[in-house]
Amino acid sequence: MSKTLIVAELQNGAPREAALELITQARGLGGELVSLVIGSGVAEAAEDLAKRGGGRVLAADDAALADYTSGAYAQAIRRALDQESPDLLLLSNTPIGWDLAGKLAAALDAGVATDVVRIEQEGDDLVFIKRMFNAKLDSRLRVTGSPRIATVQPGACEAYAGSDAGSVESLDVSGCGSRTVFKELRTAAAGGHDLTKADLIISGGRGLQKPENFDSVLKPLVEALGAQMGASRPVVDSGWLPHEYQVGSSGQVVAPKLYMAVGISGAIQHLVGMKNSNFIIAINKDADAPIFEVADLGVVADLFEIVPALTEAVSAAKGG
Amino acid sequence: MKILVCLKQVPHKDARLDIAGHGTWIDDANLKFEINDYDNYALEAALRIKDAGEAEVIVATIGPDRVVQSLRTALGMGADRAVHVKDEALEGSDSLGVAKSLAAIAAQESPDLILTGLMSDDANYGLTGPMLAELSGLPHATGIVSCEHAGESITVERELEGGALEVVELPLPALVTVQTGMNEVRYASLKGIMQAKKKPLETKSVADLGLQASDVAPKVTIEKIYMPPKGEGAEILQGSAAEVSQQLVTKIKELGLL
Ligand SMILES: Cc1cc2nc3c(=O)[nH]c(=O)nc-3n(C[C@H](O)[C@H](O)[C@H](O)COP(=O)(O)OP(=O)(O)OC[C@H]3O[C@@H](n4cnc5c(N)ncnc54)[C@H](O)[C@@H]3O)c2cc1C
Repeated sequence: MSKTLIVAELQNGAPREAALELITQARGLGGELVSLVIGSGVAEAAEDLAKRGGGRVLAADDAALADYTSGAYAQAIRRALDQESPDLLLLSNTPIGWDLAGKLAAALDAGVATDVVRIEQEGDDLVFIKRMFNAKLDSRLRVTGSPRIATVQPGACEAYAGSDAGSVESLDVSGCGSRTVFKELRTAAAGGHDLTKADLIISGGRGLQKPENFDSVLKPLVEALGAQMGASRPVVDSGWLPHEYQVGSSGQVVAPKLYMAVGISGAIQHLVGMKNSNFIIAINKDADAPIFEVADLGVVADLFEIVPALTEAVSAAKGG
Repeated sequence: MKILVCLKQVPHKDARLDIAGHGTWIDDANLKFEINDYDNYALEAALRIKDAGEAEVIVATIGPDRVVQSLRTALGMGADRAVHVKDEALEGSDSLGVAKSLAAIAAQESPDLILTGLMSDDANYGLTGPMLAELSGLPHATGIVSCEHAGESITVERELEGGALEVVELPLPALVTVQTGMNEVRYASLKGIMQAKKKPLETKSVADLGLQASDVAPKVTIEKIYMPPKGEGAEILQGSAAEVSQQLVTKIKELGLL
């Protein structure tokens, strides 16, 4: 019988959605489920998780764990691993998960698969399905190790919605510490460009090739439609537009009536920022671009031909 | 101060990706390669520390002969010397095998700071940095977007989700992995490229690093790599630019936005 230990992340004192998704993944594999909750004053969150399907929940509760530090959290997880000896350790592919997975794997000399979207049981073995090349290709991975380790992409499956009479135990985590020192949390200064209330957003990606093209190619369409302009991350990273234009996991999460993605490939970090839009149009010259999987309407063509033609058609429609 | 930057050569962002006959990786025979984007920002961060004071910047990478090109580019940008690990034992290696090799370099060099990219644009694992930190006994932080160096420590901002940042202080020696957009990456100047030709570039085997092939044997293997199965997908509009535009205008009107 196999045993899975999940590290359930908290947000505002309660299990976050990604933690409940780990429960779905673990339960899908059968076997025994143990959940680990780490922090300070987490008794309530641990109870909550136990009722929401977390199985046997270990509460790693200590003042030294109040803020995330890689050193102390890794030690807490290793205490749980020593006690439980699971076959599989699951974390979420989040800033905490990707900070810890490699560190733990190296310490345990174990194999690890990151940003996994699905885990399949095949005979006695597990197969981990993961996107590569920024979602352009999929892969099937075999992992050896005791335990095997994986981080799971948030949103890759439904959050576990069942209820359950789990239990809570406390885990002795006294003495866990870290050489990295947590200083503070900062929120990036909100800019004046709020996309969350826009009805129509037209976003440009790296496919626009240079900053001038945002002004000369994309902006006329944005203005003709009275839309707001958005962008993918490389556009902002390159300094072509300020951060407040960025849509995605590290930018704004938007859901307008219409979202147009122009020269954007559709990496997961962009998709999480716009996939809940009411209607999505994608313009991309690569027919295999992942953006077409979430779009309702697609145009496979050179944006430098389509965008000016569309701008003209919009202006004509307004004039007529 | 001694800084080690670990970088990877990956297929060019606009390269067409075809699956190789064995089905476990892409066909990289005729591809154009470049330095992984995240690693460019890591190198730039190191060069800025060098520009601000006394620092030696060493770049290291693992791979076949073609990766020397990327090391020369890094030297052209301003790195002082390069280490190239080349060994059949590392073909098909996983992140842990790579991290063990890099850890052996770190043990030989004893850098005060190690910088890598947050992840690579090919396999997208994001593991090398944290693994290398653990193997080298160093504290680490992943996905940083700023770095201030003062005396025996650095203070960095880690990027979290939705625009949040976490400020963390690390005592040196330490390892950080860099998120894209941290800085503005310089180009190698013509003078830099000329100078790079004379800068030291060492090639090492796994044995030179004091390791055996079995030490770097993979624990993760790619059984298969393939085009993602297509779902419903978008309805693709057909026709000339003008025809397609008309259809889009009709749709935008239908949505009540025109
Ligand atoms: C932790 C983390 C957080 C991230 N957060 C975000 C985020 O918030 N937002 C975000 O967007 N990304 C984010 N990313 C980056 C993300 O992984 C991708 O790298 C990024 O979304 C790619 O942007 P892009 O689609 O513009 O560029 P690319 O992936 O390079 O795609 C460019 C596209 O343009 C097309 N194209 C090129 N020329 C033309 C032409 N002439 N006509 C038509 N099409 C053309 C190409 O076919 C290609 O599909 C994050 C990554 C990480 C690791």
